Amino acid sequence: MANNNSGETLLRVEHLCQYFKMGDSVNKAVDDVSFDIKKGEVFGLVGESGCGKTTTGRSVIKIYDITSGSVYFKGQRICAGTQSYKDAIKEAKQELSKGNPTEARKKELEEIIRVNTEEIKKAKFDHRHSDEEYAKTLVAQIEAEYAPKLEAAKGNPEEYKVMTAQYKDALRVAKKTKLITKIQMIFQDPIASLNPRMTVREIISEGLVINGIRDQKYIDEKVYDILETVGLVREHAGRYPHEFSGGQRQRIGIARSVIMNPDLLIADEPISALDVSIQAQVINLLNDLRDKLGLTILFIAHDLSVVKYFSDRIGVMYFGKMVELATSDELFAHPLHPYTRSLLSAIPLPDPHAEKKRVRITYNSLAEHDYTVDKPSMREVAPGHFVWCNDTEEKHYKEILAQPQE
Amino acid sequence: MSSILQVKDLKVSFRTSGGTVKAVRDISFDLERGKTLAIVGESGSGKSVTSKAILGILAGNSIVESGEIIYDGKDLLKISEEEMCKIRGNRISMIFQDPLSSLNPIVRIGKQITEAMLLKNKGNRRAAKRDFTNTLAVLAQNMKAAVGEAGSARVDELVKTFDAFTMEALKQETAYNAAYAAAEGLVSDIEDFLFLGGKNQKLDVRARLKEFSGKLKTVKNPYLSKSADAELERAQGTLNALASAYKTPAEGAPVLNTEIEGALNNLKALLTRLTAGTRPDFFGIGFYLYKNPGADLTAKPVDEVNRETLSYLADNFMNEFMTLAEKGLAYSAAEAVAKKQAALNALSDAEAFFSRGDYDKKSALVKAKEISAVVEGAIDRLELNKDPLAYTFRTSLVSGVEKYFTAVVKNPREEARFAKQTAKRDALIAKGKNVDWKVVPKTVYDLDELKAALPAVCARMKARFEENIAASGSVEFRARAEGLIAFFKAKASEAVYRVTKQMAKEKAIRLMEEVGIPEPRIRYTQYPFEFSGGMRQRIVIAIALAADPDILICDEPTTALDVTIQAQILELINRLKDERHLSVIFITHDLGVVANMADDIAVMYAGKIVEYGTADDIFYDPRHPYTWALLSSMPDLDTKEKLDAIPGTPPNMIYPPVGDAFADRNKYAMKIDFEMQPPEFAVSDTHWAATWLLHPDAPKVTPPAIITDRIERMKRRAEGGN
Repeated sequence: MANNNSGETLLRVEHLCQYFKMGDSVNKAVDDVSFDIKKGEVFGLVGESGCGKTTTGRSVIKIYDITSGSVYFKGQRICAGTQSYKDAIKEAKQELSKGNPTEARKKELEEIIRVNTEEIKKAKFDHRHSDEEYAKTLVAQIEAEYAPKLEAAKGNPEEYKVMTAQYKDALRVAKKTKLITKIQMIFQDPIASLNPRMTVREIISEGLVINGIRDQKYIDEKVYDILETVGLVREHAGRYPHEFSGGQRQRIGIARSVIMNPDLLIADEPISALDVSIQAQVINLLNDLRDKLGLTILFIAHDLSVVKYFSDRIGVMYFGKMVELATSDELFAHPLHPYTRSLLSAIPLPDPHAEKKRVRITYNSLAEHDYTVDKPSMREVAPGHFVWCNDTEEKHYKEILAQPQE
Repeated sequence: MSSILQVKDLKVSFRTSGGTVKAVRDISFDLERGKTLAIVGESGSGKSVTSKAILGILAGNSIVESGEIIYDGKDLLKISEEEMCKIRGNRISMIFQDPLSSLNPIVRIGKQITEAMLLKNKGNRRAAKRDFTNTLAVLAQNMKAAVGEAGSARVDELVKTFDAFTMEALKQETAYNAAYAAAEGLVSDIEDFLFLGGKNQKLDVRARLKEFSGKLKTVKNPYLSKSADAELERAQGTLNALASAYKTPAEGAPVLNTEIEGALNNLKALLTRLTAGTRPDFFGIGFYLYKNPGADLTAKPVDEVNRETLSYLADNFMNEFMTLAEKGLAYSAAEAVAKKQAALNALSDAEAFFSRGDYDKKSALVKAKEISAVVEGAIDRLELNKDPLAYTFRTSLVSGVEKYFTAVVKNPREEARFAKQTAKRDALIAKGKNVDWKVVPKTVYDLDELKAALPAVCARMKARFEENIAASGSVEFRARAEGLIAFFKAKASEAVYRVTKQMAKEKAIRLMEEVGIPEPRIRYTQYPFEFSGGMRQRIVIAIALAADPDILICDEPTTALDVTIQAQILELINRLKDERHLSVIFITHDLGVVANMADDIAVMYAGKIVEYGTADDIFYDPRHPYTWALLSSMPDLDTKEKLDAIPGTPPNMIYPPVGDAFADRNKYAMKIDFEMQPPEFAVSDTHWAATWLLHPDAPKVTPPAIITDRIERMKRRAEGGN
């Protein structure tokens, strides 16, 4: 697989937290996860069900309002949570009212409150208005593009009329365009994620229509084009989803997301519900699309051999935390975190002799780690290889890496 | 190796609005006792249909065109629904793919696990009693015939004694078992209570103490607690006293005081001591009590009682009975051989009759019934190792005749429709139109094949009888007599084994522990939604095991689960298979899962088995292009190159391809692949594949590089590992 280590960062996730309220308790589905995805790479996210990998994907695409942390896409903050700032303010206020701070400390605390209030305002603005900001830049682009053209066409009234219509149309679309449409998602279940009452044409073109494109001919051309790209034929456009096999349905799902010309594709277990032979078809298709369209993919799956095959870098998640992050070869060659090792030991292989000897490592987070005193954080134990650990463990992991390989 | 389940030439179709979908086309396999057979293939290859046919739960629009599924001397495709009910879920059970939809969401887990045990128990008891009585009657008849007039009165007496004392013994044993189970249950109850009390859980101590004291009554049994009755009385008294003295603390969590703890620990130790003793042998005791009613054996130690009563039984009854039984068996076997000899001619006659083919339905049925009566008469009814061929002869032949005549019966309306539509279609094609519809055929059966099956049944039976006659000289009647006694014992204990709700609960909790569910006593009363995916699948497995089946069918049990849970469930199924001597049919589309599980693998495509072999054969030496394609379409950890996806989709099974079904998607396909069905080419004794590539005249083809590389790597790894 191609490695784009030098490429620019397309998506940056910082301290992402996504909590769900369940009555009195809080379910920390994603807790303090940070990673970035470079342009053109495939980033794999693995973990068992319920570990928050799907929630991470959905938070990035703003299906949920995140609790705290920020997500930057193409340098622009698209999601921002406020909980961490609120907590800081609350703490400061408590100290002010209950404790008896010195004058200097008091100043400090007031400063903290002021800064955080400011941050909350900024976060709320970014979270709500990131799309508008993007639209503004697009509008500016279009204005810049059309201004000389319009100027040139002024002499010819007919051409000027056509040009103005075009300009207005483009402007209307640009105003409606949202930054978030540059991120698209492929869902796990190709049966449940396609509306059974819509034809394939309607399903695929829905995104374009919502974005304000009205030129039916243009839409049709685009749909046919995309259908051929994903390996279907244009006759399929008039059919309904139930007339397709599982693999073809997943292709429709892919076509629907690719037609928006996204920069980032979030593939949420796109092959888990498919047969083995069709899995290979879909993976090959995603690989082709990636080369052809220069896509960046966030690939969420629990099948490790597929993730290994498909991804450049892999993040391993366990109970809402990212426990290890490395390039895929590095991760499989030197798994450090005990959970990663347990996960790797569970991969079934097509080799009866090796399988009969395979010993599954069990992972028990309470027994493995002692985080009572020494608090853990994400640390880089080798270049590009991050592990969630504390000081003692970091030392231990570095020793392991320093040992010569058997 | 004996096979426990045989599937022969199974053909299943589904009648749909578009035509008849031929889902399973002529597959045969044997499931060996204690082995795992994996059936691998894409969805739509007919693997689930096969498993459903075995359990008799095919959809309503299905037609079983031909074939036999033989289990325990019965053809599962031809027995009645009542008989099937005794097998389905009881002897053969199934684990379904999706644990969420195979559990009832509004019924507690405990009830779902015990349901089968309680429901099946009554029927099992009756069936066992019937088997016991019938077999004993046949044995008596044969013994009488063997010893002649003079000894027949003695035989009657012996048989009567046997019947009576066995049942007496088992009544005693049941009482003992109930007390034993109660003692074990009480021990684990006390353990739970102490465990929870130690964790400051809210407990109603007084109520629990009273409950324990009540349960102590059920532990009493002359053979279990005779020596400790006084101690049990005392313990009961202590518990009652403690319960009435116990005051609930005014506030805070109720505490378990040391006095109560001490008393319970003592009781636990006492009960553990009782259950740890030797089991009395009730077979001997029953006979002793039958001969000397009112005798009290409970005073002596259990070992001594066992020894004495067994030797008493041997001296006074068993030796004589065994000798007679041996004679009876020999007589019956000799009779059967003579009858089989006679039946050979009748069979040849019937074969000729059915080969000629000049029969109508009535005469064919008469002939079939006549020959069936002869064959059934020749069966040795005391042979415990039932010969499926002879026992299913009548159903095979009669249903074959019925099926043939239902198939040929004239249906003018259907024929008219077929003619009309075909004409219309031809006309359209002649006009040069593009016709995208086809005509549903008027009949789904191949008449010639059905007709040819009839003499084949007779021929097979004849061959089997000839084998039997040839082998008749070398039968060990002593061993068979011992086997017969063991059979009687087993049947008798089944006949009196009454499952109560309490026993079912204890068994369910043991099962839940066995499948790895922590804290089963708390989990017992929960609903399915309170469990995670892996735990739910464990419960489904526990339900499948509740009735102690012989065969477990797993239909993609891990497809809905993720990697770690999948590994756990596979390990669990493997462990249970070894512990319970299960035979497993494992259905999946993921070859990676199979490597760990399977002894034998059948690769299915388009309703046919295309390759069959041991796990080593399939993974290290695959021969069929479809197996190559399956193997190369999944990446392993070292795969870097582009995956070889299988192009296209499986064929439409309404119009199955003429030649090799995989030819359309196969880059190695030759001309003959499109024209003729490849036969099974044997690669080794355990390995065959249906592909023309194995024909001696075929060009040499190497498998895709991705597979050869992988096999190379695996071999290197294996060598390195050793």
